[in-house]
Amino acid sequence: MAICWTLENGIGTITLDNPPANILKMEFFSELADHLEMARCAPDLKAIILTGRGRHFSSGADVAELLEASGPETMLRNYRALAGMADLAVPVIAAIRGVCLGAAFELALHCHFRFGSADAVVGLPESNYNLMPGIGGLERMAGLTGKARALELILRGSTMDARDAYERGLLDAIFPRQELLPAAIAFALSLPHDINPGYRELYLHKYLPKDQNIERT
Amino acid sequence: MSKEFFTTFHCLDDIGVISLSGSPGNIIPQPAFVEPELFDEWTSRPGLKALIIRGEGRNFSSGGDPSLILQLSARGNDLERSLEAGHRLLNRIEDLDIPVIAAINRICFGGGLEIALACHIRVVSANALLAFPEVNHNLVPGMGGTYRLPSLAGQAQAAVTSLGGDIVTAADALKMGIVDHVAPADAAFDYALALARKMTSDRPLPLIRSVMKVLNNSRTLPREEAMAEETRLFCLLARDEAERRKNGGD
Repeated sequence: MAICWTLENGIGTITLDNPPANILKMEFFSELADHLEMARCAPDLKAIILTGRGRHFSSGADVAELLEASGPETMLRNYRALAGMADLAVPVIAAIRGVCLGAAFELALHCHFRFGSADAVVGLPESNYNLMPGIGGLERMAGLTGKARALELILRGSTMDARDAYERGLLDAIFPRQELLPAAIAFALSLPHDINPGYRELYLHKYLPKDQNIERT
Repeated sequence: MSKEFFTTFHCLDDIGVISLSGSPGNIIPQPAFVEPELFDEWTSRPGLKALIIRGEGRNFSSGGDPSLILQLSARGNDLERSLEAGHRLLNRIEDLDIPVIAAINRICFGGGLEIALACHIRVVSANALLAFPEVNHNLVPGMGGTYRLPSLAGQAQAAVTSLGGDIVTAADALKMGIVDHVAPADAAFDYALALARKMTSDRPLPLIRSVMKVLNNSRTLPREEAMAEETRLFCLLARDEAERRKNGGD
């Protein structure tokens, strides 16, 4: 199993479970789609948190597998799983410890909110492998940082530390490692259960006062 | 106008450079500041990886000439037709599948700013000044400036800038999100060239084009179509890379 699912106090947690780097194999995306389908029918679900087992969120896709097995149908199915997650009415929050790169960051970019630990490293470095982000990461990043900045970051294959990512709008908050999950859960519990992604900034402003996040680290 | 406006094109390796030239302010007499056929010829040069648009001399461009615009407006629908041609040209720039960077020294007003807004990235010199002075002539920006500015600066700020006709400094433009980089005084071009090289030098052309297409598609295609096209482009790159590795690439 590539995913560990737990449900506690109405908060569903999807843990990427392929340590140490939690590499995303093709089976991850079909499991994700199944869990999201389940989540869609769970009446008590208030929010979903995505996180990685152990030190890291995930180093991304298995490039060798990707080059061998990626047909347009598979990719489109994976893409639809992420787009479906972004369309959920319940808030989805990525809690990012350590590295979160490539396909894993595309996954995080489809979440409604992204919290990082102080030691998080994020980015879309696909172009270093002569590839591009293929499941919506480009557009999502452009939506958050503006097209110009996204174009630069993606063509240069840049990765960023948490502070950089925060300043570019790619992380919504930064917490010390131990406080990351509790903070994400507290934020999730404070949100309405039926969110409008168009009000993202408003939710952050209301439920995550500035002095609760980056100023503390 | 004392001197005639013209545009030139040259290449620095695989980076193309279009220069607005003529008078000191590079005043643009026609909304379509370069013939579409010429623009296509320049930008379809094989191997071209990025394009920089700059002004010859001290300034980027002070934009159109209000008296010429008023003359055109008196001649049937000449003004409408020339504005349409200008729109088509700027849309061509925006839809180009290689990155287009505006390198802006000093003055960038009106139509000049509208050209800059159609580019994908804007680099300004620290002594650059941006404005839509059209309102001072009881006109509005006519080449998509009022359409493109809100997506960068937000509705409210865009309204203030277009309606106020105020001059915005490089530092303020950066804060407002209108520009992306501030270079040292008068050094926008060198900065833009370095940026273009950093973005494209180690990147194969199909990759650059695919990234640009995906970004452009998100603006022009319905979501389902954009998603299908993105995965199709990704799989082409993956196939090339798999092939390259099989043939002993690292």
